Order: sequence, then structure tokens, then C-alpha cells
Amino acid sequence: MKNTKIISIAFTILLFASTSIFSQEATGLQIVENVYNRAAGDDMTSDLTMTLINSSGKERVRTIKQFSRDFGDIEKKIMFFVKPADVKNTSFMTWGYDEEGKDDDQWIYLPALKKTKRISSDSKSDYFMGSDFTYDDLGDRHPTQDTHIILREELLNGESCYVVESTPKDEDYMYSKTITWIIKDKWIGLKKDFYDEDEDLLKTLTVEKYEEIKGFLIINHTEMKNVQKDHKTTMELKNIKIDTGISKSKFSERMMTRGI
Amino acid sequence: MKNILLIMIFAFTYSLFAQSVDFSGYVRNYSGMLLGNGSNDFVILQNTFNLNIEKSFDNSAFQVNPMIYHDYSDSLTFRLREAYMDLYFDNFDLRVGKQQIVWGKADGVFITDIVSPKDLFQFLLPEFDEIRIGVEGAKFDYYIGNNTFEIVWLPVFAPTEYADPNSVWAVTPTFPTTPTFDYSKVRVQTSLENSEVFLKYSALTEYVDFEIMGGYMWDDDPTMFSSFAPDGTGGMNIVITPEHKRISLAGGSFSTTLGPLVLRGESAYYFGKYFNTSNPAVNQGVIEKDYIHYMIGTDFNLFDINFSMQFIQKVIMNYEEVIKPTPLFNDEFSNMITFLARYSIFNETLDLELFSYYDFEFDDALIRPRMLYDFSDSINLQFGANLFTGTEGMFGQYDKNDMIYGKIIYSF
Repeated sequence: MKNTKIISIAFTILLFASTSIFSQEATGLQIVENVYNRAAGDDMTSDLTMTLINSSGKERVRTIKQFSRDFGDIEKKIMFFVKPADVKNTSFMTWGYDEEGKDDDQWIYLPALKKTKRISSDSKSDYFMGSDFTYDDLGDRHPTQDTHIILREELLNGESCYVVESTPKDEDYMYSKTITWIIKDKWIGLKKDFYDEDEDLLKTLTVEKYEEIKGFLIINHTEMKNVQKDHKTTMELKNIKIDTGISKSKFSERMMTRGI
Repeated sequence: MKNILLIMIFAFTYSLFAQSVDFSGYVRNYSGMLLGNGSNDFVILQNTFNLNIEKSFDNSAFQVNPMIYHDYSDSLTFRLREAYMDLYFDNFDLRVGKQQIVWGKADGVFITDIVSPKDLFQFLLPEFDEIRIGVEGAKFDYYIGNNTFEIVWLPVFAPTEYADPNSVWAVTPTFPTTPTFDYSKVRVQTSLENSEVFLKYSALTEYVDFEIMGGYMWDDDPTMFSSFAPDGTGGMNIVITPEHKRISLAGGSFSTTLGPLVLRGESAYYFGKYFNTSNPAVNQGVIEKDYIHYMIGTDFNLFDINFSMQFIQKVIMNYEEVIKPTPLFNDEFSNMITFLARYSIFNETLDLELFSYYDFEFDDALIRPRMLYDFSDSINLQFGANLFTGTEGMFGQYDKNDMIYGKIIYSF
């Protein structure tokens, strides 16, 4: 379902990309939808290294092996924690739904307890493994949850970008607004500023590196800096494999408990 | 000889490394000091080495998990928590060997989680993976999508293990006079007809996770049959004969989300549990009754604090007044709650936790505040207290065992 959407949107983009009409008529929502729907293959395997760096430069490293697959109206993801040692063999599974308003299903397997626990996806403002990324930052926030306006167009790191301000429709959302620099025609958010409830800058996400793998643009190195706490987290993806045909059974309790 | 042994161990270890066998585990220093009764005794001065040795292949795996405890009397205790092999097939898995098996959705209480018995050498204070005893047997899992059918066969019965009678965690038996114990029937012979069998069907779905289970097992706690024998002075001595009896149960559990709440429930119906009666002279001092044990609970987050609460009840069916009250079954209805609050700060380097059991019948509680600090990725420091309130009941009986403790854990 999502791929069909992606193909039709990509085709539409191809039709209009060579003219200036699109940029004149594009709305903030369309631009963010293009980012949301950017094709990334049906499945992906990668090794994620997350480095947490505090204000004095002390580093903590988390390593995760992750698998994801798009099943059309459901996107499933499973993560196996490799490091640090005290969380080794812990696994985390998410089923995310395209259906608007339907919450993700999430489970965590705790090897010491030998138990798979369902957890609420409502805690999206929780930080993931002590990093500067919340669960919501890591997920695909649906474009219709925010109101988007194009502030301007400008160059960032030599890339021509739309600068889009997104304001949540839900007043209780953890950010008052975000401002994203989106590369034209590539539909990659190159930089994103997150503002807190007092509308002060809280965090900045920057894409350090992206590359083309099997014809898809894949972001493989990002940094999230919390400017208020002077704490940052880098995320680096390695050994990325796209469309290898990950089995449906990979996203199950059986695999959560068995491990990598 | 010693050198040869060392060389053999080195060679064995090296060959394991060469085959990319995975080693992990922890080293832990654990010190606990009593606060109750005006004493400041160090009741725990313990070093622990926990080693996980595991190796996975495409269609099989093995894990061996020895643990060594060293305490201040310089004694060494060796425990093999698990030692098993896995065989993986397309739609089913087989695990054979000594293994811990955990069922159910309840935290900190054992309702359908009865396959692995408990080691209560320090009551309920150790981590739950240390409380559970690995059981020797085979586990077969058959999968259809996210549905699992599980059969567990245990040819060797392992009972609950209690604290040494000299330990501060020893349970004092209550009898009208000092009894004589006859342990001739306490052992369950290892044979096919004495096996335990457990069945479970579980599913993990978009809306709800659930388990339905049944078991034909031995009661992990022995029934205390009483009889009388001449004491040689013209009087009679009470003789207590502990004996494990067969018990069966059927139950289930579920977990689902309702907005920001996780709702959990678990229930089991136990058939034919023997309860002791107040009069040891009648019917060998026991009576057989069914009972229900269930829990309802919820997990949620409020002000960035994770909360978890559970209500647990036991109901003895066709209750009779002759049933002797115990800390576990005081009355027809036994009611308990658990409470957990956990708050993480400084990017999850510091956790503040409060866990508590409260028993309504005896008005007793166990309150466990704890602070956990990640000194580094490998080293975790813990400081906490175990506070017992009340004077009787499961927790009140340890009223003099209030303690503070510290742990240093190096994980590798």
C-alpha cells in the first residue's frame, strides 16, 4: 500500500520536478508528505551504533542490530540490543500502522526476566535508551498531525532546501514546533530544530551523511544535540542491506526471545 | 596435576573462543546490613560471578549459565542456573536440558508462573532470575504465525528451596508443640509416572497478548501431614511428615493497551491443594480444597515516572474454618497489592525506584526503595533498603530484618 503510494508520488514528482510550477504550488504539507513517503525499500537490515556524549565529553555506546519491513499498511521493526553488556539480548519490537490515529504496538523482551512485555506506545516523549532521541523522533510522525508552512528556501551545506515550520495540532505535544530544512527533490530532512513548550530551541537534528543504496536514498549518520542540556547523541548505521526479503516470521515473539 | 588442570581449562577456554562462543555475565559485590532489633549485623557480604556461555548456529544453540557465590564465611556455592541445547526447525523449536521457564503477565507474584520453582534462600529479595530454579526437562514450541503451542515435560521434580534454618530468612513452623520431623516421604522419585507436564497456548496480536495454560505437577511446597507417636515417657509426640502431593491447575493471562494504560491480568484455578488444619489430630492435620489465584494490574507513565500497580487475590473454595491460617493463606480471601514507581534522570544514568508489597490481611508490607547509577557502560552501582512492616504475615515475620544494602555490578 505504502509502496504504491510512493510510486505514484515519485511519478508525480518526476512529471513536475523539471518545471518551476511544483515549487510555486507546493504546500508545506506536500513537502512533508514527500519526506514521509520517500521510498526506502521494502525491508532493511542494519547495525546501529548510538553514541551518547555528555557535556564533559564522556561517551556511552549502545549497539543494536535492527530489522524492518514494510507490509503495506503495517510496518514492523525488531531491534536486538548488543551493547552495553547489561542490556545484551534485550529486544524491542514495534508494529506501526498507516491507519491514522492507530497507536503503534510495542513489546520489549527482557532476557533476565525471560519475559516479553507489552508496553504503551503513548510514552512517545520518553527518550530511547537514554539518548537525545525520543521514541517519537525515531518514528514516522504522520504529516497530518501537524500544520506545515514554508518559511523560505535556502542553501544548506550546498543543498537547495525548503525550510518548513511544523506546528502540532495537539497542543499537548512535547514540541511547540519544529523547523526542518528539506532538500528539494531528494526529500531528505537535512536539519531539524525542535522547540520546547516555551518555544525555546531544545534540540537540533543534523544529517551528517546519506547515501544511495539500491537506488534508495538512505540516511546513515545523524546527530541530535540537546542545546539546553549540552548533551548529544550520534546515530550511525552500518552494514545496511535493502530488500533482502526478510521473512515475515522475523517479527515475532519467537525471534524476540531467540535473539539475533 | 594442578598445572595440567589449568592447561586443560585454558585449552578448553581457548578452543571455545576460537569457535566464537559468546561469553557474558557479571561480577557483583553485594553488602547488606541489618537495621532491625538494634543490631547492625552484616547479614550479606557476598561476591558473585555469573557467566553466560552461549553459541548460536543457524538451526541450533546452546547456553550454559553457572553462578558462583562467595560469602564472608569464605564458603563457595555453585549453582548451575541453566544448561540447555536448542534445536530450531521451520515451525517448531525444541529446548532440552536445565532451563528457567517463565509464564504469565504478573510481576513479582507467581500465579501461572509455576513451572520453575523458587529458591527462597533470601526470601523474595534477590533479582527474580536468581529466585527461579532451573528445571531439568524438555520444552517443545510449535508456531503458527504469532501463535505458540508449548509443551513442557519435566521428568525431575524440583521443589521450593527455603532458607537455611539458621538464616535470618528462615520460616519458623508453627505447631502446638515441638514436633519431630519424618522426612522419609519428602523426596519424589524420578520416574516417568512422576513427571510433570505443562501446556500453554499463547498469542501476540495487534489488540491483546494472551496465554492459556494448564499443568499437572507436584505442589512445590510439601504438605505437612501430622501423626502422633509415643515419646517414651508416656506422652505423645507430634510427628510431621512432609510430602509433596500432586496438584493440577488451569489458567491464563492477558496484556493489552488502553490509551496510555497497559492493562494486565492473570488467573489460575488450582485443583486439590492440601491445607493444614488447626487440629493436627483430625485427618492427619490436612484438608483438600481448590483455590483461585488472580491478579489485575496496570502500567502507565505520569510526569515521566513509570508506575505499575497490581491487585492480587487468593480465594479458597468451599472454605472451612478448620483451615489453619498461614502467611500465604490467612483466610478465605487473601488480598495483596504491589506498587512500583521508577524515575530515570540524567539520560537514564540514574534511576530512582520504589517497589512495595502490601498484604491487607496482616497489614504488613515490604518496602524497597532503590537507587541505581550507571557509573559507566559496564559498572552499575546500587544502593537500597528492604523495609519490613507489621509483626506477622509473609512480610511482617521478617520485621527485624530491615536492611540497607549496596551493590557494585560489573557487566561484561
